Amino acid sequence: MIARTALLALLPIVAAIALTQRRRLTAIIGMGLFSFLLAVSYLLLHAPDVALTEATIGLGLITAIYVLAIRRTGRLTVVADEAPGLFVREGDRIVGLEHEILARFARHLGLDLSVQFVPHRDVADLVRSGEADVGAGGWVLGEEAGVFATRPHLDTALFTVGGTKEGTGEGVPRVRYEGYFADLDPKSLYTAETPVTLDLARFLAVQRSDVPDDSVTRHPQPRGYAFVVNGRRRDLHSALDAYIERLREDGELDRLAGRFLA
Amino acid sequence: MRPRPFHLLAIVCTVCVVLVVLLAFHSVDPETAPHATYVERPVAETGATNRVASVYLNYRLYDSLLELLVFFVAVLGVRFYLGARERPDVPPLAESEVVRTSAALLFPLAVLLGVYLAALGQISPGGGFGAGVIAASGLLLTSIALGIDAIDRRIRRNAMERIERGALLVLLLLMLLPLPLGRPAFADLLPKGAPGAVLSGGSIPLYNVLIALKVVAGAWLILRSFVRHRGEI
Repeated sequence: MIARTALLALLPIVAAIALTQRRRLTAIIGMGLFSFLLAVSYLLLHAPDVALTEATIGLGLITAIYVLAIRRTGRLTVVADEAPGLFVREGDRIVGLEHEILARFARHLGLDLSVQFVPHRDVADLVRSGEADVGAGGWVLGEEAGVFATRPHLDTALFTVGGTKEGTGEGVPRVRYEGYFADLDPKSLYTAETPVTLDLARFLAVQRSDVPDDSVTRHPQPRGYAFVVNGRRRDLHSALDAYIERLREDGELDRLAGRFLA
Repeated sequence: MRPRPFHLLAIVCTVCVVLVVLLAFHSVDPETAPHATYVERPVAETGATNRVASVYLNYRLYDSLLELLVFFVAVLGVRFYLGARERPDVPPLAESEVVRTSAALLFPLAVLLGVYLAALGQISPGGGFGAGVIAASGLLLTSIALGIDAIDRRIRRNAMERIERGALLVLLLLMLLPLPLGRPAFADLLPKGAPGAVLSGGSIPLYNVLIALKVVAGAWLILRSFVRHRGEI
């Protein structure tokens, strides 16, 4: 009798917990727990047949089907370093060309966009390990192998700033700025001994504070900004590529670039 | 689509089946059919010690028939809407050795539990529906561990479809069999047996096993359609 009353009191509580979960997996497990408690209640009410059905269908089959169903849905996880005009924090909002493209792409797929800011050097690793779906934040095409880059969505260039001019020859830049862009101090950049390579968006932002022109070298090869995707996620890669291509054909990409980078 | 003779035949058959089922329901007289006193009635009347089973597979067998028809239509609907576009290669989940081993251990247990519940539904709690779902869950667990292709190689889809439809057809014929013998439809023709024995309760064990077969095949066809349709488990 006490057990039955306790169970009956617990049922609405568990139901409320399951309903208020933001994570879908937790909500599904909450529903499974609810079914289990319901099955026990049926058993205590001397209805073992109903309890058996509730346990097999409510706790077993339904939970399994829901878990399988949410595997594909859910979130699009993006890791990025801040890049002026492309991926910028503004108060508690995030703005920028790349963020806008990815937000629209996520909406297009019916996913929630989830953004995590990381240092530039960690972007590729997190995408490669599968912890993030897409890497962004001023990623320049050809910077690193091992991950899938989408076709470039915007032209850019690389600039080497400071240090001696020996490290600025042809080919891949030697020292790319790898930390959080927010931590970069422009003044120290020009006095530092090792040269630092920046992409166009970051370079322009740094340049606004006074720059001695003679310490800057532009890399001759044309470059482009791109997103990086895990090599195993071919479907995501081709979908993102196709989506960018569509934005470009509509002229929407140019409009967005004008809006965020003008 | 142009109507073909086959379509006409199918329509005529459907109308006949509906008429026969309606006739069967008509042959059950609500005044003489026991309803209010199921619990007080002696076990000897059905031969089943599980009174729940004696209600839904004897006194109220037609309720169960309609439930089966609903399930049949659900399977048909899923197969119709998802069956057209099937992806050929569905990779298994990259699961750990733990999942693979426990799936291999649990699958025979799930099947055994299903058989037990279906075969002894007349004595103890259980029955065909729950038994079928448990066995189908075992199949689902195995497909998560080994991939759906591994199951398709062992159990052909056609075989599952035949089991699913065949079990329903046999059940329908069994339930209507009393009609030509001069008894009301859904009447129990088999001997009651000693209450508590495995072979007791008249037709109840037979119905339970057939329902279990139908439910495991139907539930598996639905799950398989979902997985095949989206191309991953």
